[in-house]
Amino acid sequence: MYFQPGPRVEEIPAQGPQQSAIISPLPNGSPLLEAIGLHKSYGPRVVLDGVSLSVNAGEVVGLLGPNGAGKTTTLSLLATLLEPEAGVVRIAGATPSPKHFAMRQRLGFVPQSIALYPSLSGFQNLEFFARLHGIPKRRAQSECMRVLQEVGLADRAHDPVGVLSGGMKRRLNLACGMVHGPDLLLLDEPTVGVDPQSRDHILETVRRAAAAGAAVIYSTHYMEEVERICSRALLIDRGKVVATGSITELIALGGRQPLMEITFHSAAPSNWRDGLIGVTLLAHSGGDAKVMLQLESFALVSPILQRAREAGAQILEFSVHSPNLSDAFIALTGHVLRDQVPDAH
Amino acid sequence: MLRTVLLTFLNEFRLLMRDRVGLFMLLLAPIVIIAVAGFSLGNIYGALVGAHAYGIPLVDQDHGAAAKAIVAALDQQAAVTVLPVPDLDEARALLNGRARTPLAVLIPPGTTSALAAGHAAQIVLYVDPIKRLEISTIEFGINDLCQRITSVAHTQARQRIASGDADLRARLTRISADLDALQDGANDYWRQIATAHSQAELAVSEQVRRQMHTAADALRAQTQAAVDQSIAQAKASLTAQLDARRAALVSVRDYLAALQVSESDFNRWFTALKAAAGSHANAIPPPPAFPAPPASAAIAELSKPIDFPLAPPPSLDSSTSAIPEASIKLPPLPPPQVLPTAQLRNHLEALAPAVLPVIPGTLGWAERSANGGDVSINSFDQYVPGFGITFLLIGMLMGISLGLIDERDWGTLARLRVSGAPLAGTLIGKLLARFFVGLVQMLVLLAIGYWTFGVSLGRSPAMLLLPAAAISFAAAAFGLIIACVARTHDSVMPLGAVAAMAMSAIGGCWWPLDFEPSWMRAVAQFLPTTWTMLAFNNLMIRNLPPVSALWPSCATFALGTTFLMVGLFGASRLYE
Repeated sequence: MYFQPGPRVEEIPAQGPQQSAIISPLPNGSPLLEAIGLHKSYGPRVVLDGVSLSVNAGEVVGLLGPNGAGKTTTLSLLATLLEPEAGVVRIAGATPSPKHFAMRQRLGFVPQSIALYPSLSGFQNLEFFARLHGIPKRRAQSECMRVLQEVGLADRAHDPVGVLSGGMKRRLNLACGMVHGPDLLLLDEPTVGVDPQSRDHILETVRRAAAAGAAVIYSTHYMEEVERICSRALLIDRGKVVATGSITELIALGGRQPLMEITFHSAAPSNWRDGLIGVTLLAHSGGDAKVMLQLESFALVSPILQRAREAGAQILEFSVHSPNLSDAFIALTGHVLRDQVPDAH
Repeated sequence: MLRTVLLTFLNEFRLLMRDRVGLFMLLLAPIVIIAVAGFSLGNIYGALVGAHAYGIPLVDQDHGAAAKAIVAALDQQAAVTVLPVPDLDEARALLNGRARTPLAVLIPPGTTSALAAGHAAQIVLYVDPIKRLEISTIEFGINDLCQRITSVAHTQARQRIASGDADLRARLTRISADLDALQDGANDYWRQIATAHSQAELAVSEQVRRQMHTAADALRAQTQAAVDQSIAQAKASLTAQLDARRAALVSVRDYLAALQVSESDFNRWFTALKAAAGSHANAIPPPPAFPAPPASAAIAELSKPIDFPLAPPPSLDSSTSAIPEASIKLPPLPPPQVLPTAQLRNHLEALAPAVLPVIPGTLGWAERSANGGDVSINSFDQYVPGFGITFLLIGMLMGISLGLIDERDWGTLARLRVSGAPLAGTLIGKLLARFFVGLVQMLVLLAIGYWTFGVSLGRSPAMLLLPAAAISFAAAAFGLIIACVARTHDSVMPLGAVAAMAMSAIGGCWWPLDFEPSWMRAVAQFLPTTWTMLAFNNLMIRNLPPVSALWPSCATFALGTTFLMVGLFGASRLYE
């Protein structure tokens, strides 16, 4: 099990599901999940074209991409909900199939939609899915309470899902995918439409799951979430892997440089930038009263400020924007709007 | 697999228990529709519909026995409530303004007399053409009623004629007997008259004789009395005279006696005188001598009653010899009259059959249940299973298909599949739950129908489980097909509703299958509703033995199995 007993779950017996015997221990360095050259199309439309990825136990891998990029299709293939037309998926070295029910029971899948029975309570939803995963009834009940406390819903355990807030539903949705302690957790945009508090809670829960040894694939549009919890990320666009690597590597792949914006009290002298190397003027307004500069490195910030003062320019304010994953995302996928057709099957 | 089936099965129940609309559709909605349909269309089956009977304004302008019979017969119709009104205007007002009043009845004046006189008579029905169906139903009843009244009238007429015939023959017999008796009486009377005649003659003669004797006696007595009276009068007169004389003689006699006494007294006086005269006694001349008194006997004789030995008057002759014997002869009697009884009897007997009319019999019909049950059915016997099946189908088609689509849309289906639950197990669990729900729904509806609407449960109520289970199974399986064909909520509603309604209608859930054209009946052979209704009708309406539901239920199960195979195939293609 990967859930760490928190301060609120101390009274619950830490009796999580046993580690699956289906997934054999991996040799050191072998990924828990490995997908190679996945290909999927719906009619003439190619949704995935040679997507490959791997996730190690205890690792959270972000799955990024614009709408229609193929994220959900990828997750569906990994969850064995779809079969690839080409390519291989291996979980712990074995190839899952729709008939491989025992292996599927070790998967945890949190779909983008709130995959819950609205008329049932959170506890009933959890118990049902836990029992479906083979957990005996009594243990399932204790696991349900434990997971409910883990996601902060213990006091609303018996309320119908329909009356819960969006954030609560999202947390419960996550809990249902994790109640059986899966080895591989597939999360499809689990924080859509939730408030910052719920988002933090969800991210923390995911982080703890990974810390407990689960391999997690985290699909999202929120780059900051990936930056917070993912060690690696996979950026796909139009069915192809655009970039993969650590977050830093992805940012670097975006090729963006720091930007510096300076607002002067009045128009700066026209020669105030003379002699500055590695600085490019991107935009200016008001006769250089406000300028946007691209820097080759953060080290140029101080010389620029020094040079402006020396030139007699009075600086009102300035800001430096560090390139991040969003910048890399835009840089790698472009500004063109994607069609809004869902990429799910 | 079994675990998935069981868990899905239990989860479906839990979901259903939270689904108030679903529960309403399962139980309350069918009960409401069954009640509405049963009460609205019950008259089609001639069912007892109580306070919901049709109102029939009735104008009785005849007021005769026939009108009373018509009103009474209509009053006895359970589906009809007679509303007597004084005139046609009020009848029309009711017809146009009152609900469930499809026609009015006018019994024209003279109906009774026309019928009594053997003429045709008509009652007039004023109808609201919009209510054609109800009108036809009631007209059918009134037609039957007229036929029965006519039949009863014919029967009564025949009975009266037969009774009259018998009465006439009895009368003729009695008349004949009376004639015979009269003849005998006449003969006897003649004989009595003859006897009386003779006796009268004798009596008259005797009476005359007696009267003559009486008269003679009276005359004699009268004469005797007169004589006696005369004698008595004479005797009395004589006696009176004699008594007077005797009294005088008595006086004389008494004088004489007194004289004798006086003589004695004188002698003594004289003696005394001489004694007193002493000396002179001698001087005293002797007294004159008293004559010698007659002898005492002679004197006594004077006072004796004088007897007049009157000779009795001669007695009148009382003998009848003096009266002549009366001999009176009455006029002779005519000979006795002989009545023509034999001829009369012959004439009457020959005449009677010729004058008795023969009324032709009426040709009618009578219903008998071919299976020994009741010929009239409770409309709810049709509608409870019929609409029960309809709502079972709606519940199944909607429940299963919408349930699956919901699960797909919510993402729970995907989650179920990821959880390792086989799709077949999930589907079978869902279908199994719905099957049990449908079965319970049918049984509850039948129970409510039994307690509330009095539906028949047939010879073996337990056997109703079989068609109920069969249709629940088939409907659940068909729901899976709908779930595969209609892939969105928006398409499930019309498709499911049309499928449920069409299967119900064509399958004979709402009306007897025979109402349908032949091509529709041919289509019906491939619908589980048809076979299920056949099974229910066999058990509940036809009252056939339990085995009669076996084959139709098997057919339903077979169709259901086909649906299940198709549905599972489609679902595996769609959801896997």
